[in-house]
Amino acid sequence: MSAAPRQESDRHDAKGPLTALFSRPEIGPIGVMLLLFGMLGYFSIPAGEFSLNPFAGEGFNALGIRNNLRVISQLGIIALGAGLLIIAGEFDLSIGSMVGFAGACMAMILRWGFSVVIPYLSFEGGVHIEFFTLIHLSDVSPLGAIAITMCFTLFFGWLQGYIVVRSGLPSFIVTLGGLFFLRGLTEVSLRSFNHRPDQVKGATTVTEIPDIKNIIHLPGHGEIEREAAKALPEADLIAIVNALPADNVASITDRLQYTYQRIADAKTDIMAAKGVKPLERALENAINSGNEVMVATIQDKIATFKVTPVVPKTVTDIDVARAYIDSVVTARPVANFFGGDILEPIFSWLYYPIDWNTNNFGNQFAPGLYSCVMIWVILSLLCYIMLSRTQAGNWIYSTGGNLNAAKANGVPTNKVKVSLFMFSAFCATIFATCQVFEVNTADAAKGNLKELEAIAAAVIGGIVMTGGFGTVLGIIIGAFIFGIAKEAFFYIPGIDGSFYRVFLGLVIIASALLNENIRKRIMGAV
Amino acid sequence: MSDLKPLIETTGLVKKFGSFTALNGVSLKVYPGEVHALLGDNGAGKSTLIKILSGVFPPTEGQIHVEGQPVSFASPRNATDAGIGTVYQDLALNPLTSVTRNFFLGRELTRFNSPFGLLKMDEMHQIAIQEMAKIGINIADPEQAVGTMSGGQRQTLAIARAIYFGAKVLILDEPTSALGQKQQMEVLKTIRQVKDLGNIAIILITHNEIHARLIADRFTFLSLGEVIGEGTAKDLQGDDIKRLMAGGAEIGDLAKELAAT
Repeated sequence: MSAAPRQESDRHDAKGPLTALFSRPEIGPIGVMLLLFGMLGYFSIPAGEFSLNPFAGEGFNALGIRNNLRVISQLGIIALGAGLLIIAGEFDLSIGSMVGFAGACMAMILRWGFSVVIPYLSFEGGVHIEFFTLIHLSDVSPLGAIAITMCFTLFFGWLQGYIVVRSGLPSFIVTLGGLFFLRGLTEVSLRSFNHRPDQVKGATTVTEIPDIKNIIHLPGHGEIEREAAKALPEADLIAIVNALPADNVASITDRLQYTYQRIADAKTDIMAAKGVKPLERALENAINSGNEVMVATIQDKIATFKVTPVVPKTVTDIDVARAYIDSVVTARPVANFFGGDILEPIFSWLYYPIDWNTNNFGNQFAPGLYSCVMIWVILSLLCYIMLSRTQAGNWIYSTGGNLNAAKANGVPTNKVKVSLFMFSAFCATIFATCQVFEVNTADAAKGNLKELEAIAAAVIGGIVMTGGFGTVLGIIIGAFIFGIAKEAFFYIPGIDGSFYRVFLGLVIIASALLNENIRKRIMGAV
Repeated sequence: MSDLKPLIETTGLVKKFGSFTALNGVSLKVYPGEVHALLGDNGAGKSTLIKILSGVFPPTEGQIHVEGQPVSFASPRNATDAGIGTVYQDLALNPLTSVTRNFFLGRELTRFNSPFGLLKMDEMHQIAIQEMAKIGINIADPEQAVGTMSGGQRQTLAIARAIYFGAKVLILDEPTSALGQKQQMEVLKTIRQVKDLGNIAIILITHNEIHARLIADRFTFLSLGEVIGEGTAKDLQGDDIKRLMAGGAEIGDLAKELAAT
């Protein structure tokens, strides 16, 4: 034996790629996620059909993907804020209320504008309170509304963080206060601002906000909403088409002709199916009763059954004008960035040449993905880089992993915590922004229980509740699991829809146990 | 090496907390390339002295000189900048992250020198491995979580970190307590390696006179806030050390005392 004396460091080998893969904290959640994807795929295949391909199911058609990714990415956005804060060792229970507050604030600014009003005591004609309007902006742009709302929510985030680091109180209590405070403030503000002159108190919802993301600039008509533009008098629509270049009209006409053909084919298919079905039932009866003549007759009828193909609609100038209006780029890019659709060219391509993104009636199924998916991807990428690849990330890990060590090494732990409380508020505001511009309404109840869902998604994704451990990839997977579970269970035949909650409850506890085990292994306690 | 100038020197340090006198005029000289053992019973004033040296609080009276220059520290950061590195008992490590991330904690190398600039991970790995190898620990995997390392390795990491970030005076606070026998030897070996670098003065606070005798070149004994004995390893005989450790009392006296009660 000529080997060098054994050293302590020899006991710890560098991990091979496979061991490294399987000791990653995300491996368990990835398994659960794939299981749920499989369930969603197979259970959503229509009854009576059989396929080995899980993507044949309704859960993975164009509309299913659009809707599921919306739920997942909305949750994913706030889970990022909640998750990073937990890694730094603190909690935020006010996320849901922050979503409600931000949505209501933004919607009110978009609907009625923004004012700074100073109340003062007036003694003229009896003592009463009067209001002095310092500033009034009646027409605030989407960007302005977002910026003003951001000021409020970031302030509340900062305040909660400041109270936590200054007082040393558990963040659980401070943000629990924030939860009630913000929800109450939202309801109070909505009721007091949102009433007509003849009412004392108003509703806790804001409606009748214009569809801002769909405001377009139409030559000759100025800025106008898409729907209003499509409802213009026919003469105006024809004038619009006449002003278009010929090749533009030709390509729109081509596409419309394709769509009308698809619709006509779909109608023909439906009629054929409707016509054949009674015959098939009659055939079955005939076979059962042993009437051979009848069987032969019906078989003959089925073989020669024909439906006259539906003639596609002809494309008119008015159709071209409306299709053109649909294709005009928005005049409010900020609103469209948060509330619009993305990947529209790809979804069009999937419809026109590929013929996949087609519903049963021959129309294009999904126009694209919701914009919040893109925002989630961008935020996740930035968070990943920050947490895993920058100094700020190391500070976040050490603040949660060993606060005293971080302080002793000069990490500004209080700044780290307060910034993350503000980031959590930022994520909640982004969530609210997407919702407001998607649906053009706001409701004081929006975001209810979202804080717990965000924390649950983070825990499922491998974030340890005591801090210092977890990855952005884990948070993303957690959001996928939480967002997809409901859909996956929805398609299981003959099962109560609420079973997904039972499932998630078990997954949360299992994940927490697993996380704790991994943490102890790393701490060297096991 | 006594012909060298002391790297750090304290003269007449007094520290009072209200009416309580924790230190009553302590003078100390620590030379580069030497291990200076600071011994004393609980409450002898060791911790107070260390906290003054590492900038946690200022002395009531007295002066500290580093390389002949008078210094005064307003914060631990000042002391670090002046070249005094303190390795506390809890080592200030985050067990959940990697060796490299701990080595550079709070002083990470980043592009553009901004908290949001990307970390220079490869460079940091290399430096961490290299610096730890200098004092005798080879790390196979710089991505290894600190929690999976032995207590001795952690001590080495903390020491290597202090030295890399400019410590000329290294204060080790009870580095061998709470460790197993083998790991204690590992730490002592590390201290020897640091000593052999030649340019670093080490102040070793310990309860364990065996460890002190194994590694220290010079001894200072504290009792009730005062120096009750000092000398080089040659000057002091084994029994002296034992007697001074116990605050000047003979073991024999203690036996009599016990018997009397």
